[in-house]
This record gives sequence, C-alpha cells and structure tokens, in this order.
Amino acid sequence: MTGTTMTRPRRDGKSPAVGKGRGVPRLLTRVAVFAVIAAVPPLFFDDYWVFMAAQVLAFAVATLGLDILYGRTGQMSLAHASFMGVGAYTTYVMSSYGYGPAMQLAAVIGVALIAALVVSVPTLRLSGMRLALVTLAFGELLAWAIRNTTDLTGGTQGASVAPLLIGRLDSSEPLHAYLIALVPAAIATAFAVHLGRTQLGRRMLAVRDSELAAESVGVAVARTKITAFLLSAVYAGVAGWLYAGITGFIAPPDFDLFASVYLFVAVVIGGAGTVLGAWLGASYVVLMPEVFTLAGQPNLYPIVGGALLAIVALVVPDGIVGLGRNVWRRIRGVRGDEEESR
Amino acid sequence: MGDLGQIILGGITTGSLYALFLLGVLIVFQVSKSMNFAYGQVGMIAAFSAWFFYSEQGLPVPVALVIGVLLAVIVNSAIDFAAIRRIPAGRPGLDLVVTLGIFLLITAVMQQLIDANAHTFISLGADTRTEVAGVVVSMSDGIVIGLTVVTVLAAYLLLNRTSLGTSLRASAEDAGIAQAAGVNVRALRTATWAVAGLIAAVVAILVASRLSVDAFYMTPFLIKAFIAGMIGGLDRFWLPLVVAVALGVYESLAVYLLGASAGTPAVFLLIIVVLALVPKRFVNERNEVRA
Amino acid sequence: MSTATGAPHVRTEGLTVRYGAFLALRDVTVSLPAGGISGLIGPNGAGKTTLLNAISGFTPIAEGSVHIGHRNITALGTRRRALAGVVRGFQTVRLMERESVLTNVLVGTERLPQPNALAQFLALPSQWRARNRDMAAATEVLDLLGLARQAHRRVDELPFASRRLVEVARVLVSSPSVILLDEPAAGLDQEGRQELAAVLTRVHENHPSTMVVVEHDVDLVKSLCSYVIALDSGAFLRDGTPAEVFGDRQVQLAYFGRAASADA
Repeated sequence: MTGTTMTRPRRDGKSPAVGKGRGVPRLLTRVAVFAVIAAVPPLFFDDYWVFMAAQVLAFAVATLGLDILYGRTGQMSLAHASFMGVGAYTTYVMSSYGYGPAMQLAAVIGVALIAALVVSVPTLRLSGMRLALVTLAFGELLAWAIRNTTDLTGGTQGASVAPLLIGRLDSSEPLHAYLIALVPAAIATAFAVHLGRTQLGRRMLAVRDSELAAESVGVAVARTKITAFLLSAVYAGVAGWLYAGITGFIAPPDFDLFASVYLFVAVVIGGAGTVLGAWLGASYVVLMPEVFTLAGQPNLYPIVGGALLAIVALVVPDGIVGLGRNVWRRIRGVRGDEEESR
Repeated sequence: MGDLGQIILGGITTGSLYALFLLGVLIVFQVSKSMNFAYGQVGMIAAFSAWFFYSEQGLPVPVALVIGVLLAVIVNSAIDFAAIRRIPAGRPGLDLVVTLGIFLLITAVMQQLIDANAHTFISLGADTRTEVAGVVVSMSDGIVIGLTVVTVLAAYLLLNRTSLGTSLRASAEDAGIAQAAGVNVRALRTATWAVAGLIAAVVAILVASRLSVDAFYMTPFLIKAFIAGMIGGLDRFWLPLVVAVALGVYESLAVYLLGASAGTPAVFLLIIVVLALVPKRFVNERNEVRA
Repeated sequence: MSTATGAPHVRTEGLTVRYGAFLALRDVTVSLPAGGISGLIGPNGAGKTTLLNAISGFTPIAEGSVHIGHRNITALGTRRRALAGVVRGFQTVRLMERESVLTNVLVGTERLPQPNALAQFLALPSQWRARNRDMAAATEVLDLLGLARQAHRRVDELPFASRRLVEVARVLVSSPSVILLDEPAAGLDQEGRQELAAVLTRVHENHPSTMVVVEHDVDLVKSLCSYVIALDSGAFLRDGTPAEVFGDRQVQLAYFGRAASADA
C-alpha cells in the first residue's frame, strides 16, 4: 500500500498548510546567525575564554546527543558522560598507539556503537526506567575498567592526551582547538536540526509521547529507542574525542555519575527536545562552574545545579527555551493575531 | 566449608541490607508509583549527620543517631511533599529527573556542611565476633540479618493481615476509589514516605558501621538495590527481596572466585544477561491501560 | 493486502477475549462489508472497544481469528497489522501534545515505505523523496479535514474538536485500507458531531477504505453508516442496515433498556 490514492488534484492557493519555499531563506538566516555567534569568542575574548568556548563546542555535541535520547525520545540515560568517557579513552589509547585524528574518530564511533548496543538492546525492548538503571551500572563499569587498566588508560590518576593535529591546526592552541571543534559541532547541530524533519525524528517524538499511538501507526518502538540510544552514544563519543583533544588531559571524574547528572541538568535547563536548548545547556555546563569560581564560591555550583534541576523540571519542564517561547506567545497574543499560523 | 561459608555469609548479610533498603523503595513505589533517586542520599544524611554530631559536636552516640534518623525521615517526607506530589500528570519519568536533582542537591549540601572525606563510623557490633561451625559471625551480621527478616515479615503481615494494609493496598491500586471508600490517602502516603525514610536511615547507619561514612557511599548501594528491584519487579513483594539477597551472594561469590575487583563487572554482566534472556512479559511493569 | 481501488473485507471468526476471568468477547463472528462504513454499537461494556482492539492487535486474543481480505492476521502484532493497512484511532485522543499539527499528522506516514534510519539521518536523496511525498499526503489530508490553517499550531493550543480531527488525520494520511475509529464523536457537541459525520463521509468518498466506527449516538450512526453491528455483554447481537438493527427488539432492549417504538 503506497500513497497512490493520494492523486486527487490539489486545490492550489488554498493550502497555506506547509510552508515550503520558506526553507532556503530560513536556512541561510540560521547559518548566518551561527557564523556570527561563532565569530564572537575568537574576536572579542582572550585565550582562556576561547579555550572555554572550545569546550562549549565539545559539550554541545554531547548535550545534542543527550537531547536526542531524552528530549526527543523520552529515554533517560545516566551514563551520557560515561559514553563521553568511552570516546575520550578510546582517543587516548588510539593516540598512544600513534593513530591520527581520522582513525581516532573512526575508532571512537565504532567503540561507542558497540558499547551502546550492549547496553541498549537487552534493555530497550523493555519499558520504563530500566534504561536509567542499566546506564547507572554502565557508568560504574567504565569507572571500574579505567581503575583496573592503569597501564593502558592511566587509571585513577588520569592521562595526558596528545593534541589533535589537523593540517596546520594544533588543538593545544586555544584558537586552533576552537576552530577544530567548530566543524564537528556545526555538523552535529545540522544533523540534529535535520533529524526533526525526518520520519526517524517523528518516530522518536511519538515514542516519547505515546507508545500506543506510535504502535498504532506502525512505528517499531523498541527499534526507535535503540536507534536513539546509538545516535546519542555516537554524539557523546565524538564529544569525548573533542574534549580529550581540547583539554589534553582526561581523568575518571570527568566521566562519572555526577558528570552525567550535570549533562542532564544542562539539557533540562536549556529546554529538552530543542537544539537551541542543548546549546544553552552546553554553555551552562561549561561556563557556570567558571562563574562560581570567579565569584569565589565553587562549591555552590553542584548545589545550584541540583536545585535548578528539581525546580526547572517541576515548574518549567520545557526549560529556558520553553520559557522564552511562552513569553513570545504571550506577546504575540497581545497583538491579537492568533489566527496567523506561523 | 570455612572459606565458602564465610563468603556466603558475607553475601547474605550484604544482600539482606540490599533487601531491607529495597523494601523502602518498594513501599514507596507501590503507594505513589514513583522512584526516588535520592533515596540512598536520604540514608546518607542520617549516617553522616549522626557521625558529625557525635564525633565533631560531642553529642552522645544514641542522641546523635536519633537526630540522624529523624533528619532522614523529615527529608524523605519533604521530598514527597515538596516535589513528587507536584509532578504534573502526563509527564512519565519526571519523578526520576526531579529526584536526580535532589540527589545532587543533598550530596552537595552535605559535602558543604560537613566535608568530602570518608570517616570511620561506630562499629555497632562489627568487632564482636564468635565462631559458628567454622564461620566467623560478627554481631553486626546477626543484627543485619535479624533486622531484615523481622522488618520484612512485619511489613508483609502489616500489608496482608491488617486493615491498615488493606487500605494501603487499596490506595496503591486506585487512590480515587480508596479515597471515596473513606481511606485517608494523603495521610497514608505521608506515613509511607516517612517509614521509607526510617528504613533508609537504618540501612545507611548499618552500612556505615560496616564500611565508613562520606557523602557518596550509599550510591553503589542504591544502584544494587534498584537493580534487584528491576529484575524482581517493583510491583511485587517477595521476588525482588529474594533477588536482592541473591544479588549480594552472587556478588561476594564473584569476588571470591574472580578477585576483589570482579564485583562491578559481574553485576553488570548479570543484569545484561538477565534482561536479555528473561521473557519480556515477566520483567515488564504493568502495562498502561490500553486504548 | 489491499489495493488502492478495492478496500478489503474485514472478518472475525469465533473471537474470544479474556481479561483474567472476565470474558470481554464471547465467540464473536462478524463480517464487515468491504469499502463500507460500519457502525459498532452496544451499551457500555458490550465489548465494542475490545473488538476494535482485537482487530487492531491491541488485545491478545484467546480464541478465534481475524482476517483482512483473504489474509489471516491473527498472528501479527500491532505494528505489523498497521503496516498491513489496519490503522486505528483511540477513544481518548493520543497525540504529541507539544508538537505541531503537521508533525502529528506526518507521524502517520510510517506505513509508507520509509528510507532506513541512516539514510534519513544523513539526508540522502531517498529521504528527500520520502519527505516530499509525505508532505504532499499530509497537506492533502489537512485540506480535506479543514485543518490546513492550523498546520503549524501546537496541538495543545487547539480546541478539543480539532484535536479529534488531528487524530483522524494521522490515521488517514497513509491511506490505510482498514480504518478503525473508537468513538470519534465523543465529547463533541451536536454541531461538531454533524461536522465530523460530514468530514468522515467526504474522506470515505475520497479514499476508498473499509471504515469501522464505534459510536453511541444513534442519529450519527444512521447518517454515517451503511451497516451496523450490535454487541451486548461481549456477544454478537444483530447486524444489518441501520434501520434493521435499530428496529430490532433485542437491540432496543439491550441498548435503551426498553423497546423504543418511535425512534426506530
């Protein structure tokens, strides 16, 4: 059965329903905005903040991935930072055997996929909170694996990772690190935006909101969850690869349960289910500790993070982006043109 | 016999602690259909603050313990009152997200108020040992196993043999109907969370007395108890508790046979294998009302 | 499988469904005419929704079988049945509340051949072809149901009647050959019901399909359906044209608790 019965002639001019044509200008606007914002850190800030901005780029890849899993598919992972760790440690091992960035990236994606398959296939055919618990155990497993392979991974003391060398760029230079991270972050963002326009993306939303309705139109619920988990793991792995290259040093606490919880805080505060929210979340998770350190109260960061997660989840479940959207809708409502369907 | 018996006894003791802890998770889940990720940290509050009061503030140990337990009961009730009840309908999974925030908050606050280091706790009988049939049994082992058996049996009798238990099960089944039948659902719910807080406090103090106390030590414990609940099913009673004890034994056997560091991967392997092999219908939660 | 022109005939044989000790359906054998709109009526607890669930695969069947055309679909799961052309709506509207009308409708295109996940993610040409096809289908259905102006509104901003229509649109967008609707008029006022009947009739003219509608409202059933099946306490009671079924004494007894003379 295909859409062959759908050949009734269109009543042209009477269908403002689907705004085609708007696509290209909108795309150009978005690219332009992205480029302008991306130009700000290197133009106006010193090396330290460019280095922080490069980390925001790496973490944006991670939060975009978590957003695909949690924001869009409604599945909770408490091992997202652990998957970043999988990427970072794979990078470290590959680089210590002398492999360059391309091979590192390929290995990172491969290892992240295998780990994600092991975690998700038995878990996601089941319902409910199981994934959250199994990912918890996975986080423990990674910490154990690092602790017990000091020769290979540097163990609890951490490890210095060789900088990424791509062309003339050397990621130990903040500006170069920023430029190197910009490309994967932009690609990851473009794919995440595009995902919202695919049936795959819609399947995820359907699984999040009503598994019954999803099944009723033919969506394979378990397969969709597993696909989302694999995608999020690859995003996290790539983020770990960037993180290792940018910071040059990795240690188990960077990827433990608390790190995963912070990523969660980031996505929820930014606004689950939106690309913009993931970016806001990445900025939060990198810059907020800095702000608290500058204010002389570094210990307040986890306290504020925990309180914010609980409060935002209860009071504004759609995060900053949802808040902004509500304000915008109210302003529009005052203007009184609700009929406009933009 | 000696070695293996020792290992199995250690496993049963740890498993009993998992089971007792899980009992608190089960009653909360059954009455309010939610999971409290901060549950381990509620127990941690009891043990860590008790340590602080007797060791740093010089209060007598029993007083410090009572204060710690009370704090845990209050915090757990407050979590339900301030957060869980306010979760809007139609947002499944939000209980885990919200309590994850509370988990982080409690951990950070306790670290800030006391410190981030590990401290030895009063031993509560861990040093008083006797030998039974070649196996060294400490008083702590006896307390743990005895307390677990008594508490679980009491909970079972309370739930199944008393009118209070009937009210509890009715409000777990359908709060609206129970309310209409004259059950004070809110009071029962508050009481359940308070009792769960008490259980968490007792378990955390026992664990602290056998290991040490800091702001993090209950998290691996929480993970193990949740895993047992997940395998056994959170809407059942005996099976998850038995799984919890079995998990403790399995873990100590893995450590005994494969070395001290084998515990974590062995547990991970177990869940993956169990979840992959067990029939879907068996491990799934109750299906949502269809259509 | 159905073809685009001829909708299949839907048949159940000796269908029995148990919920624990409770017999929700007892040995129900019904036959729904191909390409028609059939009404499923009966008092509360008659087993109407259960029958819909059994046909769409949402309820395990204890005994009996379900056939679409010449195909026995008893062994197929919910999803496979949807792919085979059986798509349903729900009594309580199940939509993605925070998403747009268009997104909700597009989800329904799952039944059309979609490129694999990687091709979709990487935006390969097959993805663009599928997207254009899906958009065209969605636009057409939205036009047909009068939802075109709301296409970009969030579902939770819409009035209840429109949300019902969004669910109907999600069912229709893939042109399924068997359409099962569970009380689509529930919660609508008189005007809304008439509008819905008109819309469903229009849809049926435009997209040949075998449609089954669970409905309480006698007038609506009479104006919409060409064929009616009455159930009572999980058992088959009577079938035939609306006039025949509503004229039946047994049906009147079961349905109205008394024999209504004037109404039939």
